[in-house]
Amino acid sequence: MQREEKQLEASLDALLSQAADLKNSLGSFIYKLENEYDRLTWPSVLDSFALLSGQLNTLNKVLKHEKTPLFRNQVIIPLVLSPDRDEDLMRQTEGRVPVFSHEVVPDHLRTKPDPEVEEQEKQLTTDAARIGADAAQKQIQNLNKMCSNLLEKISKEERESESGGLRSNKQTFNPADTNALVAAVAFGKGLSNWRPSGSSGPGQPGQPGAGTILAGTSGLQQVQMAGTPSQQQPMLSGVQMAQAGQPGKMPSGIKTNIKSASMHPYQRTLD
Amino acid sequence: MEAPPVTMMPVTGGTINMMEYLLQGSVLDHSLESLIHRLRGLCDNMEPETFLDHEIVFLLKGQQASPFVLRARRSMDRTGAPWHLRYLGQPEMGDKNRHALVRNCVDIATSENLTDFLMEMGFRMDHEFVTKGHLFRKGIMKITVYKIFRILVPGNTDSTEALSLSYLVELSVVAPAGQDMVSDDMRNFAEQLKPLVHLEKIDPKRLM
Repeated sequence: MQREEKQLEASLDALLSQAADLKNSLGSFIYKLENEYDRLTWPSVLDSFALLSGQLNTLNKVLKHEKTPLFRNQVIIPLVLSPDRDEDLMRQTEGRVPVFSHEVVPDHLRTKPDPEVEEQEKQLTTDAARIGADAAQKQIQNLNKMCSNLLEKISKEERESESGGLRSNKQTFNPADTNALVAAVAFGKGLSNWRPSGSSGPGQPGQPGAGTILAGTSGLQQVQMAGTPSQQQPMLSGVQMAQAGQPGKMPSGIKTNIKSASMHPYQRTLD
Repeated sequence: MEAPPVTMMPVTGGTINMMEYLLQGSVLDHSLESLIHRLRGLCDNMEPETFLDHEIVFLLKGQQASPFVLRARRSMDRTGAPWHLRYLGQPEMGDKNRHALVRNCVDIATSENLTDFLMEMGFRMDHEFVTKGHLFRKGIMKITVYKIFRILVPGNTDSTEALSLSYLVELSVVAPAGQDMVSDDMRNFAEQLKPLVHLEKIDPKRLM
């Protein structure tokens, strides 16, 4: 029992001295700000901040030290309240608290937040309780959606700038080629340049119409897209026709590079 | 190409159960070697497989607005292999939670008189092409890297020309409907091929 009391006293002393140090530093800093503001340099303000921060850290360390007893387990009860002036108290508080009365005791011995703060907190709690579980869920979902959208945008931006950087080094693929190849396997775009318009019977070589050449980003990679819209007619029916009317979502790289050129078949030896 | 696993599930009541999940991209000819190298490292340990296929696309126009499309494929470098008949449904882009294009798919191995049979049924040939390339597998994922050749004289697969200076790269999985989880694996695999190849879900409709 006695040992515990000793420990409590020792840690209280340590705490007091730390608090006093902190108070002194704060005091001198405030004095500096008030009286020497005209010749105060930024580095010296930073020094003062560093000192305060260090002292706060030490205070925290003292509080968290394993030998420090839990102060919250100590109870302080005001035994006597008196409206008379108390010189001892006056001295101990450096003239801040002259009387130990019903007026000041609630403020100084308070263990809960300000009534105003408490009121605000209560308000928030009731607000939160009033929202139905569904509405809350919706709000959570909305927030999550926004966050994921934002994340996606950021990562997309990152990816694009990354791939943009790599492309300038060495190109390994060509988006225009991708589109041409996908269109070719999906509905034969650019493959059946022998199919005459109108009748689509096999074995009737037709005249290849004026082709368009899609120039890729690099001058060397050319994708030939033979086949005028009329030749594609047999494919463009029904659902696909309806889709064709949609505003094109083609990558701008292709759209802007379409050049009408007089047709010369894209002769290459097979590899 | 080797015929994909033929579904043993019966097609009952007009519902088709198998779906193909697809990601597409391309690689320029001069980067093909690096891609093949990377794929050999990433994929199941197997003998490098190549294929040379001839694909003919048939249309059947009925009362419906959109024609019915069937794809017939035969291997040109493997004699005796069965023909491969394939139906592909309308591709669905889906939302961004699903990372691959999805379409219905039915694969059937057939005898070599498939073309005659389809013609007798009223199908007409729409277009044809030759594909030549490499095949890789990783679990249920299939990766094909191939060049598409235009056929200059209809029906004559000896005279062809390349469509472009790139190889088409496709990552596909055939799975029962609703197994959207596979698209996550596909996305992860596609990530590993970057920045060599960007495999994306490409809506063919926007390329019409």
